[in-house]
Amino acid sequence: MNERFKLTVIPELCSGCRICELACAVAHFGVNNPKKAAVRVLVAYPHPVIRMPVICSQCRKPPCGDVCPVNAIHRVGGVVKIDRDLCISCFKCLEACPFGAIYAHSDCPQPIKCDLCGGDPECVKACPKEAIRMIPEQALGETRRLGNLLSYTHMKEIEYFEKGEKKVIRYTEVGKEEL
Amino acid sequence: MIKSGYFKKHLRVDLSSGQADWLDLSDSFIEEYVGGRGFGARLLWDHLRERDFKVDPRGPENLLVVAPGPFTGLYLPSSGKNSFISLSPATGLYGDSSMGGTFGVELRQTGIDLLSITGRAEELSILFIDNEKTSIIPFPELKGKSCLEAEGMIKKRLGSHAVSVAVIGPAGENGVNFACVNTDWSRNAGRTGIGAVMGSKNLKAIVARGDRDLPVHDLSALRAEAGQADSYLRSHPYFRLWQREGLMTVIDYANSIGILPTCNFKDSVFTHFEQINSQVMLDGYKIADSACFACPMCCGNICLVKDGRHGGVVTEGPEYESAAMLGSNLGVDNYAAILAANCLCDELGIDTISTGNLIGAVIEGYENGIITLDELDGMEITWGEEESILELIRKIAHREGIGDTLAGGAPAVIKRWPAMDELILQVKGLEQSAYDSRPALSMALAYATSDIGAHHTRAWTIAREMEEGRDWPLEKKIDLVIYHQTLRPLFDMLGACRLPWIELGLNERHYENFYRHVTGRERTLEQLLELSNRIYDLTRLINTRLGTTRKDDSIPFKVHSRPAMTGPNAGKVIDPEEFDRALSLYYKKRGWDDQGRVSPETAAAFEA
Repeated sequence: MNERFKLTVIPELCSGCRICELACAVAHFGVNNPKKAAVRVLVAYPHPVIRMPVICSQCRKPPCGDVCPVNAIHRVGGVVKIDRDLCISCFKCLEACPFGAIYAHSDCPQPIKCDLCGGDPECVKACPKEAIRMIPEQALGETRRLGNLLSYTHMKEIEYFEKGEKKVIRYTEVGKEEL
Repeated sequence: MIKSGYFKKHLRVDLSSGQADWLDLSDSFIEEYVGGRGFGARLLWDHLRERDFKVDPRGPENLLVVAPGPFTGLYLPSSGKNSFISLSPATGLYGDSSMGGTFGVELRQTGIDLLSITGRAEELSILFIDNEKTSIIPFPELKGKSCLEAEGMIKKRLGSHAVSVAVIGPAGENGVNFACVNTDWSRNAGRTGIGAVMGSKNLKAIVARGDRDLPVHDLSALRAEAGQADSYLRSHPYFRLWQREGLMTVIDYANSIGILPTCNFKDSVFTHFEQINSQVMLDGYKIADSACFACPMCCGNICLVKDGRHGGVVTEGPEYESAAMLGSNLGVDNYAAILAANCLCDELGIDTISTGNLIGAVIEGYENGIITLDELDGMEITWGEEESILELIRKIAHREGIGDTLAGGAPAVIKRWPAMDELILQVKGLEQSAYDSRPALSMALAYATSDIGAHHTRAWTIAREMEEGRDWPLEKKIDLVIYHQTLRPLFDMLGACRLPWIELGLNERHYENFYRHVTGRERTLEQLLELSNRIYDLTRLINTRLGTTRKDDSIPFKVHSRPAMTGPNAGKVIDPEEFDRALSLYYKKRGWDDQGRVSPETAAAFEA
């Protein structure tokens, strides 16, 4: 799999249906149980209104790995993996994750953690809202950058007509920079 | 033989004694009654028979059944449904109402297929089912709290965000006839007054936390079948529209074909429909999508009023029924006001359909001089007047002034002002929902013969009849009503939502395959429908034992005598004689006698 791809979530798109949880649990445990998923949708209302799929970011410098007393957590090929033979089930990694993106279930002796399904995550395929995506690292933040650009306040505007339709061009003037 | 799909457990709770028992469900019970309303109807039947049908819906002896189905929580389209069944305070007859959201899933994951509740807690309490542990927790501080506030307090007290709460508002505590059960902020089991049953039991909320694997016979086969269904839905041309607008899309449609209730059904087109439709919602209010469990269609629209006098109001909704009943039916042409009314109903825990229907009738009653200003507690109320409407909603929930009468639903209003009988659209005491039946006989018949009263949940035939035209043969109309009344409740038995089928045309054949893969038992759709049909016989049997006769399968006065004034269906009413013929034929096709009683053989089979 391409190491430079990142699993990312767009909470604004999430409807809270939890299909991602079902897809994950079926793929990894072969059971119909959303409580055994490595992704969970947290829902808050009414202040703020938000639905947020919480899933591992596969950090380059994983805090879960830092706290593992038996050094069982390593990033290999873009995936932060728990070595199941070494893991002593102390669950320190659950507490260490800054996102709370590692999970536990009473049936499972070891932590439940996203493994990116070998590069083609089931949750991404299953999401009916495209709220969970695999995108290249360099594309992260692209929307924000674009939004920032379009809302740049020091733009000038001119109106003009094209085929009878009113249009607007926005531009910045060279030599009139404001600070 | 059913191999899987059930825990085969029934949790029976008596709130009076505090006793909770885990009972086994027999193979024959799950084979015959499937789940959801099937379970509920059978339990209620046994319960009522043991008490010689002398049960007060608001008494501690009434039975409340909470039943998900074998599909609830499964990885197949829209499996978040759960049914509440009880003797209805609204009709005094069999009552049920289903909700979406996540509550049913969480409840099932505790390891049960069925929860039944009797008795009455000494003080206001919550029932907490935490996997195999059940506790009844007195919680008097919840008294008078709104659904949302109570949910927050419960989560805080239990120290967990990861629980699912089905809660009633002040209206449920006050025994309002159409009090609902609320979950996930704004999903409701709205109809037949289940909230009042909970209130009468001093049960403010049922809280569930479960983490069990749900039993499935062949998960990979189920996934293959559900994957096909899912691909179909996602490639449907209206899929994105559905996600974006949900049921709000129906406003334009209902107005265009002239079935949108307007000013208490005085009319069936609304001049200002473009101020309350989905476009208005998308342009100015919608801030997020919302879905029930495992549903790709996310019909919920979370809306926020950004400014003006309702500024800051945020809720999920309204959907079509609420927008029509609290909007056009009250002459309200301001989407923000509808949102505010919807939000208030959710907070107080009352059904938007009954509320809109009754307030509409009150406004017309006042207009016609049946209800005096004095009886309105001095509060003038006319079409579209937001302030008074919101105030009336509050009064209903708290049973203040005229609200006390309205809280008793259509029967109480008619008792106090007999002339209101001509203005209220209701059947068996349940207020009619937001599809005008005057242009479509099949829809009038659907309301008249629905086992819970004038609700569209059992049969929604109006679109098809409008398409086919008024001259569509009577026999076909009746067949369609019966087919709907058989298939739609089947969804409520299985624990899946009917919208993928009715709205996006998902082939119902998928459900026989789902059933096979979930339970390991081969059954055709026809066989499943036969089981659903038996439940319809059973609810009919319950109702006839409780006194329902042919005359109760009626059409409201306006439907046969007061046509809509304008629009494509102006002047159209249902001919009572034609309706009568249709009803006779309907009974005959169902195998019921001319008084609408099930055959002695059918009755005997349930009595055995």
